Amino acid sequence: MKQNILLQLHPMTKFYFTLFIFAVVLISPGYIFSFAIFPILILIAMLAGVAKEFLNIVIKALVTVLIFIFIMQMFFYPGENVLWEWGIFEIKQEGIKYGLLLTSRILAIGSAFILFFRMTEVRDFVKSLEDIGLPPMGAYVVLSTLQIIPEMRRQANTIMEAQKTRGVETEGSIFVRAKAFIPTLTPLILSSIAGTEERAITLESRAFSAPVKKTSLHQLSKSNMDRALPIVFALVVIGLIVWRFFL
Amino acid sequence: MTAMIDLKNVSYRYPVSDDSVLKNISFSIEKGKFTAIIGNNGSGKTTLCNTIRGFVPHFYKGDLDGEVIIDQTKITDYQLGQLGEKVGYVFQNPFIQVSGVKDNVFEEVAYGLENLGIPVEEIKIRVEEVLKLVKIEYLRDKNPFELSGGQRQRVALASIIVMDPEILVIDEPTSQLDPIGTQQIFEIIRLMKERGKTIVLVEHKMDLIAEYADDLLVMHKGELVMQGPVREVFADPEFEKYQIQYPHVTEIALQLQQSGIPLSFLPIRDEELADALNRTEVAAHD
Ligand SMILES: Nc1ncnc2c1ncn2[C@@H]1O[C@H](COP(=O)(O)OP(=O)(O)OP(=O)(O)O)[C@@H](O)[C@H]1O
Ligand SMILES: [Mg+2]
Repeated sequence: MKQNILLQLHPMTKFYFTLFIFAVVLISPGYIFSFAIFPILILIAMLAGVAKEFLNIVIKALVTVLIFIFIMQMFFYPGENVLWEWGIFEIKQEGIKYGLLLTSRILAIGSAFILFFRMTEVRDFVKSLEDIGLPPMGAYVVLSTLQIIPEMRRQANTIMEAQKTRGVETEGSIFVRAKAFIPTLTPLILSSIAGTEERAITLESRAFSAPVKKTSLHQLSKSNMDRALPIVFALVVIGLIVWRFFL
Repeated sequence: MTAMIDLKNVSYRYPVSDDSVLKNISFSIEKGKFTAIIGNNGSGKTTLCNTIRGFVPHFYKGDLDGEVIIDQTKITDYQLGQLGEKVGYVFQNPFIQVSGVKDNVFEEVAYGLENLGIPVEEIKIRVEEVLKLVKIEYLRDKNPFELSGGQRQRVALASIIVMDPEILVIDEPTSQLDPIGTQQIFEIIRLMKERGKTIVLVEHKMDLIAEYADDLLVMHKGELVMQGPVREVFADPEFEKYQIQYPHVTEIALQLQQSGIPLSFLPIRDEELADALNRTEVAAHD
């Protein structure tokens, strides 16, 4: 899987690409251009071999929001040209236009970020941030949170199991499950608070605050592509700005 | 001989507790010695370890009186980060000793070396070596969160000894291990001693202490009540007072003595019992 050229790009390159899309969408006029970006992202996702997860998340996370925003704009954006009317509800042409513009931008930017996180391991991204100066403590917080979430889920399961053996109903309707889950929160939260002190000592015992520059087994390398692409992105953005505002 | 760890009249009280957990403790451990701390639950062994490592008072606040001197320097003159390289500390609870940022055992063990800024090539060599030493090579690709208690204990020990500290403070490293695992850990500790490390070990397994350790510190309700070479401490009649287990063979020997069988000396290792009995017979023949 790691053979893929797109996936192998440096996390920063992928991140610059996301920012690039962001800039392009904001600079370009109208919605057609912004909507056109989405198929391009799908194409990239396909080439990177992550199209299925990508589309899945876009549909789950974005589509309802987009429809909601569009409907709101359609009815409530101020305008003159009423196309359709029913009681106090009026659909205005300006509303449709603005709705399309807004949704096209949110779709392009949102899906660009989703694509970024589909194509980049968070671990790699954090490492690349560390390389450009994120303090180790910040990196630690992000990475440990990621690791601890599954660990907490495991713990919650253990507590639930323990309650089951004491005869607490833990299966059935949402209501029953919620009733069983809520009491697990107290031990869970308490144990993770107690955990932070112990964790700080653990880190200290592993020389976390040693007054030297840390090394890392995990190294990211930059290819020629990684050097060239950001320049291409920058040039395109500058070109767009010139075209849009100066010609 | 130079003192590596030197405590002078050390007393300590945790911030929220009313009573001192350590009461006027003084002792001195020479470089290269293997010292075992024994005592019943709650007697202050772990707190004493925390003091040697500098977590008291750098981390646990509260009132610390007296002087703790590590390698000729007062603990308060070290920065917390500097002590990490000097004093390796393996905790009593193996379940908390995971960095939480590494997803396999190899990287977990390497973590301390990364923090010390050791070059990557050297890290790899050292981690390989330690994994072999602690017999956890087969765990190298496993997630540190998905290990059994005994496996975690080994990983915790490996993660510390890989950093090659001069002083090793090890708090009950075998509580989760089977007898063979325990024996292996003691062999590793012996090896560390051969490499010149100064070792402080908290342990309840007296047979192994008798076999491996040089000196004993006996803790009782926050006081250091006895100290000295292992054999002398076990042989001292005062030891019985503190209700701490003897090595099995010593227990038997004491019962033999009570029932009137003379012994030439008090054995602390299994293989000494015959010797202790024989020599009296020889003495009787003469
Ligand atoms: N963080 C803390 N805050 C307050 N009191 C503490 C803390 N840790 C330990 N104590 C108290 O200090 C005393 C000594 O505890 P310590 O953990 O040093 O004992 P121990 O000899 O290591 O016991 P064990 O054999 O059970 O590990 C106990 O009475 C305990 O309640
Ligand atoms: Mg303890």
